[in-house]
Amino acid sequence: MTKSWGTFTSFKGTTIEIAAPDFTEVVKKLTGGKDLTACFQCTKCTAGCPVTEKVSIQVHEIMRMLLLGMKEVLETDMIWRCTSCYTCQERCPQGIDVTDILIGLKNLAYEDGIGPDAYRENAKSVLESGFAYQTSGFRRKKRDAKGLPALPEANMAEVEKLAELTGLKALLEEDEAK
Amino acid sequence: MTKNRTREKRFAFFLGCVTPFREVSYETASRRVCEELGIELVDMDGVNCCGLPIEAINRDMALSMAARNIVIAEEMGLDIVTICSGCAGALTKTNGIMKENSEVRNQINKYLKKIGREFKGTIEVKHFARVLLEDIGIEKLRKLIKHPLTALRIAGHYGCHVLKPAAHMKFENPEDPTFLHELIELTGATDARYEGEKDCCGGMVVGVDTDIPLSQVRKKMNHVKEAGAQALVTICPSCHLMLDSNQERAGKPFDETYNMPVLHYPQLLGLAMGIPPEELALDELKVKADEVLLAIKGLS
Repeated sequence: MTKSWGTFTSFKGTTIEIAAPDFTEVVKKLTGGKDLTACFQCTKCTAGCPVTEKVSIQVHEIMRMLLLGMKEVLETDMIWRCTSCYTCQERCPQGIDVTDILIGLKNLAYEDGIGPDAYRENAKSVLESGFAYQTSGFRRKKRDAKGLPALPEANMAEVEKLAELTGLKALLEEDEAK
Repeated sequence: MTKNRTREKRFAFFLGCVTPFREVSYETASRRVCEELGIELVDMDGVNCCGLPIEAINRDMALSMAARNIVIAEEMGLDIVTICSGCAGALTKTNGIMKENSEVRNQINKYLKKIGREFKGTIEVKHFARVLLEDIGIEKLRKLIKHPLTALRIAGHYGCHVLKPAAHMKFENPEDPTFLHELIELTGATDARYEGEKDCCGGMVVGVDTDIPLSQVRKKMNHVKEAGAQALVTICPSCHLMLDSNQERAGKPFDETYNMPVLHYPQLLGLAMGIPPEELALDELKVKADEVLLAIKGLS
């Protein structure tokens, strides 16, 4: 599969249409998204970020891009290389839930069909077994031999129903169709 | 009858998936230590993924799955304990959000209603490290230390999700946590302080970019070695997986060798409590802890 993420790597040559209202409205509805205007670009988030050296667009730049309504944010590597360590969120002097916003952006990107396969695989595994990582039969037997209790079996009817209701199932089906 | 759960020391045990998938030694050591401490772990039937691994793709599903697990514990009438910081993060956070945010609670409960369940908000979720500190207590634990590990210098890896987001975890200040230092000192070992104690292992993005966890592992190993530690301890199967099994890959491009044993904290505690090493699955670590065991041999 061709890499669909991390393609927006520089602001050079980009025309910024200030305040594209549609996208800003969508982002405002994300968890933490209502506080976007509180960001004054102090860059504490970026200063504490463990992946600053690994990304082209930094997390404080993401915050400003959101305020400008730049949908290109979904194509940055920052949102995927984020390790969800929550340091930016803890340190934000304005109390913005930065990490939660990044998680919301990942969700939006998947809705647009952008994103690494890793999380899709996790989700597929959840729909198969109820768990993101499946313990093999071999390891299960080893558990028995050691006297460890049998692993819980997920209630797949309930997991599938939840996947239907939350839209996860449809999302994965759309991806398959593409 | 008023029920004081904290004194019962009986918990619904949420195992998660990374532990049985790759880190069975953590489960073995944790169950053995719990047995010694009189903590009853009641296995949970019908649970599913904690939700964390799919938060990036669909937050509502992640919340629903976490909430469903919590509901199972509510039905059991027990607080949840988990040995995985990722699971603790997802479940504690969801429990907090669902209790405090009626908008989210109503939305997720709408989903849960369709599967005949309802989040009521009657239980707590705790990482095992918190159970040791808050439900057993350092003073009581100290009395159970039969073989103080005075010959050891041990470094601690905090990990992220046991502390953050602090607004929901409500544990210690994530900028200046002390609990792991206390837990290490409890065993009689010297707590080896080092640069970057709270740094992330990078495990969350291993499927997206392996370079991130590998460079995190390299940094950590160099700092831990500089501090003269004989071993590192973790309290999360994912952190452990990154730090124990990736040392060779992380060091090779730089001609660096670490050979740093990474113990699950319950293994260290178990040794100090006098539990034989073979009952704590120390032989299952990728980087062998033979030298650690040799250093404490004959201590009593």
